Amino acid sequence: MTAAITLLAYAALLASAGPRLLMRGGWTERAPRLGIIAWQAVSVSVVASAVLAGLALLVPTVRVSAGLANLLRACVTALRDQYATPGGATTAAAGAVFALAVLARAAWCVTAALATAVRDRARHDDALSLVATPAFPGVVVLDHDEPAVYCLPGRRRRIVVSSGALRLLDDEQLTAALAHERAHMDQRHDLVLAWSKGISKAFPKLRLFSRAHEETVRLVELLADDTAARSVERLTLAEALLNLAGAPTPAAALGAGGSTAAVRVRRLIAPHRPLGRVRGALASTSAAVLLALPLIALAGPAVAAGHLQYCPPGSAAVGSAIR
Amino acid sequence: MPRFGDLEAAIMDAIWRADAPMRVRDVLDRIERDTEPAYTTVQTVMDVLFRKGWLTRVKEGRVNMYAAASSRQDYVSGLMDEALEAADDRTAALATFFERMDPQENAELRRLLGAARSATPQKPAP
Repeated sequence: MTAAITLLAYAALLASAGPRLLMRGGWTERAPRLGIIAWQAVSVSVVASAVLAGLALLVPTVRVSAGLANLLRACVTALRDQYATPGGATTAAAGAVFALAVLARAAWCVTAALATAVRDRARHDDALSLVATPAFPGVVVLDHDEPAVYCLPGRRRRIVVSSGALRLLDDEQLTAALAHERAHMDQRHDLVLAWSKGISKAFPKLRLFSRAHEETVRLVELLADDTAARSVERLTLAEALLNLAGAPTPAAALGAGGSTAAVRVRRLIAPHRPLGRVRGALASTSAAVLLALPLIALAGPAVAAGHLQYCPPGSAAVGSAIR
Repeated sequence: MPRFGDLEAAIMDAIWRADAPMRVRDVLDRIERDTEPAYTTVQTVMDVLFRKGWLTRVKEGRVNMYAAASSRQDYVSGLMDEALEAADDRTAALATFFERMDPQENAELRRLLGAARSATPQKPAP
């Protein structure tokens, strides 16, 4: 019971405090890849804690094969004591249902998000094959005055450039824009976005997940800019962004909270300050710890039982006991 | 097994250029390809395009007359709408490079960019 409560408390704490920790100081903007990983680590950790909390309620009722049970009778009893829940079978059943429900809902929504993306992309790609003109390998031109550069990631990956965009960009700027899109496709940002979107749809009441998705959307753009900036000048990339964004657009509402484009341009203009090695290592370690904690919480009582003398610490001890 | 994608594009192109309902035979005559495809192949692909909703089909006597369901420009606009939608509200299907920006903000950022350009020494011309 303690394990289950600990896990649920941990999930609740992480869901409420996690976003604040990750937003603090804007460090994710300096290390977007690490930022993306950290947000997903928090999300995975919360989901895993909830699932494991359900499973922890199940432990006392787990059946052990007769032979092993005789051998380890004292140990199994001790284990059951550690995980013991008031309510017995009912609590265990509730735990199992809860764990399965969380897991199934998450899996279903992430799969649905992936499937939707694949379907939309295939439909878009079909139409593209008929009306776009191939320019060079992997790039097609769409005859339209509206400036646009975008890509279709996945199996039939390609970049689409509108003739309006071609008019606004010089060769270097076009190269920069293409490098940005290639980074999206090479690093499969579509997959991480499908995951974060799926999870946010699965549990819409939890602010953490929608926050994680919004931030992931923003951070993949910064990451693609950084990747592109390895082969092109940062200022050229900023210029390309401004040229495309500066064109007269139909009266369309800008996304809430200001445009990511402005953040990106400011970031490209200012001297690049990647996160230092120490803080980077600290952030990676924290992400790893976040992922490990739920498992530790679940295994905690078992480890405690393992310290009792009649519980063999490992299989080697079991082997010697059989002899 | 030839890929039908190219042939689909060639057929749609011929129909859009003709701008009038056509028989399979007419389309076959107008397709610009190095090796002329077989009549039955064109017929099959046009049937596929009809079922995809790209072509409409009307029977005149014993002959099927095909026409484009929408103009080429309609399809291009539809694709661009999807791209613009993706730019405003990101979907996992498309990743866009361009984003919309407030014109005032754009002017301000351009000024900053200009200042940064003049601050950093220009790379010598190769």
